[in-house]
Amino acid sequence: MTAPAGISPEIEAVLENGLNKTALTCLHCPSRILNPSVGTFVQQEFALPAMTKQKNQIIDEKHELREFWKVKDMFQFENVGFSNTVDGVKYLTCADCEMGPIGWHDLVTKENFIAVSRVRNS
Amino acid sequence: MAKTYDYLFKLLLIGDSGVGKTCVLFRFSEDAFNTSFISTIGIDFKIRTIEMDGKKIKLQIWDTAGQERFRTITTAYYRGAMGIMLVYDITNEKSFENIKNWIRNIEENASADVEKMLLGNKCELNEKRQVSKERGEQLAVEYGIKFMETSAKGSINVEEAFYTLARDIKAKTEKKLEASNPPKGGHQLKPAEPQRKPTNWLSRCSLL
Repeated sequence: MTAPAGISPEIEAVLENGLNKTALTCLHCPSRILNPSVGTFVQQEFALPAMTKQKNQIIDEKHELREFWKVKDMFQFENVGFSNTVDGVKYLTCADCEMGPIGWHDLVTKENFIAVSRVRNS
Repeated sequence: MAKTYDYLFKLLLIGDSGVGKTCVLFRFSEDAFNTSFISTIGIDFKIRTIEMDGKKIKLQIWDTAGQERFRTITTAYYRGAMGIMLVYDITNEKSFENIKNWIRNIEENASADVEKMLLGNKCELNEKRQVSKERGEQLAVEYGIKFMETSAKGSINVEEAFYTLARDIKAKTEKKLEASNPPKGGHQLKPAEPQRKPTNWLSRCSLL
């Protein structure tokens, strides 16, 4: 299977048959989030709140992200945290150090999306 | 899609506000990453994967999300729960006394065969202790449940407590399965379960 058009060499390096080639771990601690070949690479826009906030900033900054690992069933995760629901969305965090949001959960489809840029391939 | 696990257990954390349930919510790492966004909205539940006797177990662990402030927890929260961690704070006598009320609440609302365990949290604060370890042990004996002192802050016994609860639920589930599908042609012999950690967890915390 060929990778979707318009993807960067960095993404291509972590892809295998459209799935995550290596395990996904937290950027901050060694917690394993997803096993290899479980997440499907998808390109879609989603504005995810920033993980860090500048001093004196009142409104949470959002980042438009385009590259995600889609995980169909929440029990396919190795370790992950689900936030309380805010505006119809649950955000995903590291289960150990609670760094996040690393992605989001769609309450309607029950699908989960991990931002490629907010996890480590290891 | 192939199922990637053998068991799925839903676990709940119950106890008074401020006993540190949210910290016990399976935080193995001492080194928490503080993001204002996540700590403001709060964690609803976590999914954890553990291995035991070659079986992959998914734990879905729920926090009460402040419902406990009303001194009662609704039946909906207990639905499907297979294990409950009853948590008190060793530096707060009231939270220990309230365990009895929580057990009553569980008996009224949860499934009768739910596996329970008692946790005396914040055992790193020994100098502020109001509840002795012996009283915790005694209460656990009274209810026929297991007991551990934990320190979510110092990552002491938190992982062990969840393994213990999961092991007991697993044993119960397997017993039920065996009862409904008795093995054909004689009795099946099972190898003894290996001990995960042979250290004495009961004494570990008081060493602090």
